[in-house]
Order: sequence, then structure tokens, then C-alpha cells
Amino acid sequence: MALLSKAERRHFPDWDDPAQCIFYRVEIDPEKCDGCKLCTLVCPANVLELCGEKGHEKARVKGTIRGCASCNNCQAICETGAIAAVRPYNFVGFYRQLGRGEFSMPRKF
Amino acid sequence: MADASVAFHVEDPEEIEQETGRRSKVTEVPEGAEWNLVEQVMLQRRSIRKYKRRQVPAHVIRRLLEVARYAPSQGNCQPWKFVVVRDVDMIQAMEDFCIGRCKKLSRSLDYANYPKGSFRHFFTRAKVKLFNRLQPNMLHPVPMTAITSIAQGRFSVFHRAPTLILLLVDRRGIGTPEIDIGICGTNIVLAAQSLGLGTCWIGFAKFLNQGRECCARLGVEEPYEISEAITVGYPVGDPTHLVARDTHEIVWFEGGKKEVLY
Repeated sequence: MALLSKAERRHFPDWDDPAQCIFYRVEIDPEKCDGCKLCTLVCPANVLELCGEKGHEKARVKGTIRGCASCNNCQAICETGAIAAVRPYNFVGFYRQLGRGEFSMPRKF
Repeated sequence: MADASVAFHVEDPEEIEQETGRRSKVTEVPEGAEWNLVEQVMLQRRSIRKYKRRQVPAHVIRRLLEVARYAPSQGNCQPWKFVVVRDVDMIQAMEDFCIGRCKKLSRSLDYANYPKGSFRHFFTRAKVKLFNRLQPNMLHPVPMTAITSIAQGRFSVFHRAPTLILLLVDRRGIGTPEIDIGICGTNIVLAAQSLGLGTCWIGFAKFLNQGRECCARLGVEEPYEISEAITVGYPVGDPTHLVARDTHEIVWFEGGKKEVLY
């Protein structure tokens, strides 16, 4: 018994195909975002940028989110709680994530 | 034979504790208690890739390396050696070498560089698929994306950190010395976090092993090799807000039952 099927074990996903390497969303609340730019600076995947007119800039996701590993460095540095990756990344085939539950903040037990 | 039975007599440690009267206190942790300081450090630590220019005082780095040598290791073999680099020129030379490696790797392996349907895309992709089974960890989509980003100057290797700690592994270590390096480095990064410093693990530092000049300058010689590097510096901004992360399957056996928790 294996968690990956034979077909999955043989299927190494194409990293230039967003249907096979699935980088999920980063959610930004434009109400809360004060355009401080720090998230665009710390994002290791470099998928964030500022947009809007000067003085009223907001963070947004660039055209592609390729490379976003849901590390949430953006969430960690945001003073206003305006930004967060809301799902982990995933792959089709050989690298399919296994045994993951909800994406969650630290829970106290 | 009588001796052997003595040797195999197992003493009850709790009984001894009771007899000697030197009983240790058991710490009670109430349910739902606030995070203690160590837990806070662990939860707040992020990988920091943007640093202030200000150098970290030497004695603080010595402190980090002091806790590093108390890390647990297999058979207490302590298979590590530390190389600290704090000269901008030298870090830049290492950066340049790694960028060169990334350029080569990106050119020869990242088919995303080439238009779909082109011969180079087809050929490179076929090559990767062939090697993928042999090198599933290295030929993973995520590091490959990073390698291309570094090759194209959109990402850096050592993140312009003022201090770089190279973790060298003694290849003769007991069992799995690379694991010991990971545990040792964890002491470093957590201590650093507790002292207000940011750190980032740099796995690509392994590329330096392929540079003869780099190794000679850094003093990397057999049986040592660079296993990992850790950048250290003062983080830009305040990256300590708590974040969401994946939860993972926990298989729990108790009372003759099996439970799956997350």
C-alpha cells in the first residue's frame, strides 16, 4: 500500500504549468492595506507589488503567483493585518501534498 | 551467571528518587495556557531575507555559536564546524559564485525558460523527467523556480546579510550527520530570534563546495563539506506577527485505540 498511486509516482509535474504546480491565493484587504510596501519587499517569491495612485497605494498580487510557497512572510510583517496567504501550495502527481489538515494560525491546547 | 543477573537487574528510577528524597518537581501546564517565551520565539521566527546594513556585534555571534555547540547529536559526535564570514567583499564573491552555478543550472534544467513547443523546451523537459526519479529533492519545482530567479537577478543567495555562518559537516559523523547539522542550526536560529536577530537557512550554500577557489579561501577541506549556511542580521520591519501554516496529520495510539488528529 502506498499513498501515491502508481500513476502519481510516475508523474513529475511540469513546473511551468499552473494546473500541475498550484500556487494558491494571497488575500489582500484593500480597506486595511496602508501601502507601506514592506510585504512586497519581504516576499521571497517576488509576487507582490504596489498599485494605485501616489499616496493611496495598495499591495496587490502581480500577474502570476508562481513560486508563492504560502510562507506568509507578508502576513508576518503586515502591521495592519491586511494580507495573508490562505492556502498551502500543492502539486499534481509525485509531489502531491499528503496528510495536510486546515491551514491554521497557532492553536493553544 | 550470578553476576549477570545482577548486571541485568533493572532499578526503578522513581523508586531511587523517592529513596534519596531528591525528587524533581513536575511542571504542570494548564490547558490553553499562554505561549511561554521559548514557544513565542519558535512561533515568531520567520526566514528573514531583508536586512539592515548594520553589522551584528561579534560577541552576539559568539553567543549563537556557544548555544550551537550544545545541540544534541548522534552519539554526541558533534559533526560540525563553523565558518563565520563578515566581510562584504568575501560574501559578494561567494554570492557571485553561486549565481554562476544557478545560471548554469537554470540554462540546462529549467524548461520554463524556453517557449512551449520549442525544441529546447522539449529537450530540457525530457532531460529533467529522466533525472527526476533519481533526484526528486533537487529537481523539485520550488528550488528550480528559485534558481532561475537567482540566475535572472530577481532573487539573491545570501540576501546581503552582514554576517554569514557556514555550517560544515564532518562526513565521518555517526549515523546521519546532516540531521545533526539541522539540529545544531536550529539552536542558532532560535537563539538569534530571541536576541532580536533575523536568520535564513541557505541550502544553496552547498554550491560553494564545487568551487575550488572558494573552498580554499574558506578552508573547507575533507572530511568537511559545506552542509548549510545561515544568514544573520537585523530584520527590516517587524516580521513577528503570527502567521497561518499547514496542519499535519497526527496518528495517535492510546488506550488500545487509534485516532487521527490534525
